[in-house]
Amino acid sequence: MSSISKPAWQKRDTGLTIRMIFSFAILTLLYLIFLSVLSYLGIGYIPIIIIASAMILAQWYFSDKIVLWSSGAKVVSKEQEPELHELIERIVARNNLPKPRIAVIETNMPNAFATGRGQKSSVIAVTRGLLQILDTEELEGVIAHELTHIRNRDALVLTLASLFSTVAWYLMQFGFYGGMYGGGYGSGGRDRNGGGIMLIILLVAMLTWVISFLIIRAISRYREFAADRGSAQMTGKPVKLANALLKISGTMKRIPTKDLRQVEGLNAFFIVPALSGSTIGNLFSTHPPVEKRVQKLMEMEASMS
Amino acid sequence: MNFFFRRSKKHPFNSRTNSDAIFSLSSAYITLETKLGLKNTGRSAVSMKVVDGMYFSDMKEDIQRFLDASKTDFDLRYRTLTDSYGYLWVIIEGKHMEDILAGVTAVGDMVEEKGFSDKLLAAIFEFSSNIENNNSIQYLIYNYKRNNFYPFIPTGQKNRDTEQEMKILSAVGQEVKFEKDMAFWYPMWDLPL
Repeated sequence: MSSISKPAWQKRDTGLTIRMIFSFAILTLLYLIFLSVLSYLGIGYIPIIIIASAMILAQWYFSDKIVLWSSGAKVVSKEQEPELHELIERIVARNNLPKPRIAVIETNMPNAFATGRGQKSSVIAVTRGLLQILDTEELEGVIAHELTHIRNRDALVLTLASLFSTVAWYLMQFGFYGGMYGGGYGSGGRDRNGGGIMLIILLVAMLTWVISFLIIRAISRYREFAADRGSAQMTGKPVKLANALLKISGTMKRIPTKDLRQVEGLNAFFIVPALSGSTIGNLFSTHPPVEKRVQKLMEMEASMS
Repeated sequence: MNFFFRRSKKHPFNSRTNSDAIFSLSSAYITLETKLGLKNTGRSAVSMKVVDGMYFSDMKEDIQRFLDASKTDFDLRYRTLTDSYGYLWVIIEGKHMEDILAGVTAVGDMVEEKGFSDKLLAAIFEFSSNIENNNSIQYLIYNYKRNNFYPFIPTGQKNRDTEQEMKILSAVGQEVKFEKDMAFWYPMWDLPL
């Protein structure tokens, strides 16, 4: 059928679904193990759950407002930013998506993000700097990337995922203070070895938090690749997004302007770029390295022609 | 000491890897044409830092004699010039990519044989885009020191078309030894080709 002739990146992304289920299974398991350890140690976890759920609900309900407020993004009307509105309307119309609200952040740092609870209540925010350095097609690539985040419900996924690390973080604090005051909420009969128990709780909580933190980052990085792929499908021009990424990251500035004949004597060819592929850094970052993303986008570009 | 050591040890190995890398263009130029509509113009060049002294001028004469002699075999035309940076250019023009590559690698080999391999800077191959409303001249630059290729597309005064350069990377990045680190994509303005 027609799917045979399609390059791999144009097919449905089953890998994403599988990874999501897998990641959530691991996270849930971690969470459950953590809770059973707690209940075994005799701590009432009902208050913890109540507090955590309240926090998550609040975070979820106010997420877009929190994000917009903390980033200083202002929602703009069509009258205020007609070109930006029209550009986004063009993409959503072509791809049969609901139009998100649009916000602008008055800063020169080029950047963009999407936030919101559902498809309809979503907001795409772009900085003034982004609008200034990108041309129309590059901006389309970036907007399509953010629209893919919305379509894939990445905000929901990451909020849910961070639920676990939030809870673990909270319990880690709880365990820490509990340990300091010798037992805390522990039942009276265990006062003598309360400190030791608290230490175990602290360690388990820390471990849970660290692992879920790393998993969230892995999920996030993978969803960035997925959004790049979605953008390429929407615009059909992966090279434009690649270009935009290079501009945003400042990599574009790394392309030299000095003539080869001028630098030749400086032995410039033997300088090893410092820490370009540090794996520890990769493990902790929410975004994959720009070079990797550009490389994947250019592979899509190559498979199109 | 160091000079002789480098000569004897490095150059035979170097020469082979340089030629191999350059010869990978014999198929990649077809890819550039089918994927991006780029046509090889037949113009190419080898550039090297001029060294004062007899050995270098002897070598230059050897190269000229060789290219004169092989005119009939390879169907190549050539000229030489020295630019304002103090680089000698051997500019080779031909009809067939295979001949051009043979000429370019032969010049490189001769330079290395005479012990001037560290003076070799770049080999340049010129392409032209035959897509409508884009009649730019585009180059593949082979850097002898890095032993790899990178694209260079000048547009107007000291600007370059990075987007098209990346398309070239995506089209032939696997087929030829390519410079993946863009920090080494040094331009060469006002090429005398």
